Amino acid sequence: MATDFWCSSHYKRWIVDRATLRQTRADDLLYVDDPEYLDFLAIYFAELVAKLGKQLHLAQRAIATATVFFRRFYLKNSYCETDPFIVIAACCYLASKAEEWPVHIKNVVSDARRVFSQEPYNVKNFPSDNSKLAEMEFYLVDNLECDLTVFHPYRTLLALCKSVDGSEDPSAVQEEEAGEVGVGLSAEEGPRYWGTGEGQLELPPNGLQTAWFIVNDTYRSELCLLYPPHLIAIAAIYLTCIFHPATHETVAAVLASSGAAAAGAGGPADPPPRRSSRQAAERKKPAQDPLAFLAELNVSLPLVATIAQEIIAMYTLWERYREDGAPEAGTPAKGTPDSRRDDEPGPGGATVSPTILTAVLTKMREARMQDYAHQLQSSGRPVAVNRMLERTQAAG
Amino acid sequence: MDAVEKANAERQKQWAKDQKVGEGTYAVVYRGREASTGRKVAIKKIKVGQFKDGLDMSAIREVKYLRELKHQNIIELLDVFSSKTNLNLVLEFLDSDLEMIIKDRALVFLPADIKSWMAMTFRGLEFCHRNWILHRDLKPNNLLIASDGQLKIADFGLAREFGDPGYKMTCQVITRWYRPPELLFGSRYYSSAVDIWSVGCIFAELMLRTPYLAGESDMDQLKTIFRALGTPTEQDWPGHTKLPDYVPIGQFPKTPLRDLFTAASADTLNLLSQCLVYEPRKRIAAKDALSHSYFFAHPYPSHPSKLPKCAAQLTAALPLEELDGNTLSGKTNRLKRKLTSPPDETKTRSAVARRLDFTKPTPGS
Repeated sequence: MATDFWCSSHYKRWIVDRATLRQTRADDLLYVDDPEYLDFLAIYFAELVAKLGKQLHLAQRAIATATVFFRRFYLKNSYCETDPFIVIAACCYLASKAEEWPVHIKNVVSDARRVFSQEPYNVKNFPSDNSKLAEMEFYLVDNLECDLTVFHPYRTLLALCKSVDGSEDPSAVQEEEAGEVGVGLSAEEGPRYWGTGEGQLELPPNGLQTAWFIVNDTYRSELCLLYPPHLIAIAAIYLTCIFHPATHETVAAVLASSGAAAAGAGGPADPPPRRSSRQAAERKKPAQDPLAFLAELNVSLPLVATIAQEIIAMYTLWERYREDGAPEAGTPAKGTPDSRRDDEPGPGGATVSPTILTAVLTKMREARMQDYAHQLQSSGRPVAVNRMLERTQAAG
Repeated sequence: MDAVEKANAERQKQWAKDQKVGEGTYAVVYRGREASTGRKVAIKKIKVGQFKDGLDMSAIREVKYLRELKHQNIIELLDVFSSKTNLNLVLEFLDSDLEMIIKDRALVFLPADIKSWMAMTFRGLEFCHRNWILHRDLKPNNLLIASDGQLKIADFGLAREFGDPGYKMTCQVITRWYRPPELLFGSRYYSSAVDIWSVGCIFAELMLRTPYLAGESDMDQLKTIFRALGTPTEQDWPGHTKLPDYVPIGQFPKTPLRDLFTAASADTLNLLSQCLVYEPRKRIAAKDALSHSYFFAHPYPSHPSKLPKCAAQLTAALPLEELDGNTLSGKTNRLKRKLTSPPDETKTRSAVARRLDFTKPTPGS
């Protein structure tokens, strides 16, 4: 958090609505056979960013920032006119610096070459000299309008929730090494920039981690462009209450014990009453009511519900996205229904693999290039060219 | 030309670059003007070089933070545009800095003047800290002075966020004379207290008119600090002997600040001593400093327009079009500027409207 969210560039300039988002893909739509591929490409690129980020040992937050940079860049550019691979590398490089996790440009270039040249991406022409990446970084910063501060749901998550056993959550602890004595670290979070809720929601062991993973997963969609991060965090908590077995049980128990009058109202659960009510009785403190907690946050719950729906929609899509050779890839939140990989590409419930998407992307870019060449010939004079396209040609 | 380029060209046209006024490690600074109004600006051209190693970390930090921070006591980033292979930051033009003023022997500082500079420094710094940003390089020459006397914190090349507890940070920050003891002992987990120490040193320097703790090396810096303030005991600063680079420096007795700052009031010395507390957790926060009795006691802080100015600054400002602006108070000067620059006005107005706007949808939107 580098500033007040409501005054931030993130809120003022980089939250868009669905219609705008659709509009930004207009060029790509001309060159793609099925619009659904574009949604799959969103997953495909996010996976690539994460892959390269992990290779570079970036912190989760830097990877998340790189992904947001990538999405913001493509609010102004189209996949078919640019080289997404070098854009991804530049996003990771810039995010590493913006999040104070700097890696050397040489490492970015060599790791990007290694990752991207593998199957199924097969990028053989990734430039090997640093200057190409540095140049792309410059265009990226320019396209991002120098807005390098990105808000993420993680902080909200840690501010709102704690594990009931108080023990380590790998995700959280990884960033929270023991501080040194005598240096004046305050762990308390600042005033919340939204809502009026107070206190923290206690989640059963691994509950917080599940919510953390759900937040990680949201970067596979374009949610980070559509909604403020704190709402995404709250939606993730809400989904944790439903999908995470232990958390769900607690919720159900609370709902069951909070009296027949209120029970079930709005509860997504079918409460297994006896066993869990005994569990609730075993707890020392009176159990917290997660629903009341969420309600007290004073955020728009319908909006949170919408985001939750969109996250679920993303999972549905992601279930059909299969890493090549990994028939059982899928979501951590739910078991994936088994559908055999189908080589018939495209929509209608068939699965889509990175190989297919690589082919789709190549086809789009080639078609765009041909059209461009055609345009050039017929007009007889050079048309103002997108800079990124120029570089793509030079590199290719 | 695509939309992005077109927008950029539009922005570039608004700013005219004049002569070069300075050069840093990663940037060249030019004096410039807003084309439509003639308003003076500084244009910081970031050298990208031949795209060798990408953008400098300092440039990234500066852009990242100035893009978000808008406050009267923080230098304003007016615009950013790219030209060919350069990134240009358009900053408000500020003619002098606190170091020049301190060094100008012709100027006499009243206690009220020092109070005014301190108040403006703390206001700017409180805003940074409230937004979870550490400046990490506070010193008199990074505190710039506008022609209306307002003090503005500048140079965010070493700034970083500190909101996440436990993020390891480098201790190689802050110019030595203003560097707090925990950094000199190699602490990698620190907080906003590091900036407060620097402000304390600046406070003392304003009274002494010479750097307060001027060590010759990092080791000597600790010695200088301990000589001035006494060697800290385990009670003063629990756990400091466990810091990574801790070395025993020698025992120096505590001497009262009063011995050196003979003319200072009790309030002044109290605030100064609270900025220079060894234990970082006990050092005063910028927010608390602002409500310290020092700022509410007589003499009240001077109005910025009445503060001492460098001779150089005066002559530079006089013959220019802002002649009348200089004689007016700061407030009217700002107003006038607004009236003469319609694009600026609409910008501020919409920004205000925007801010008002999101007080309403805040919950939930």
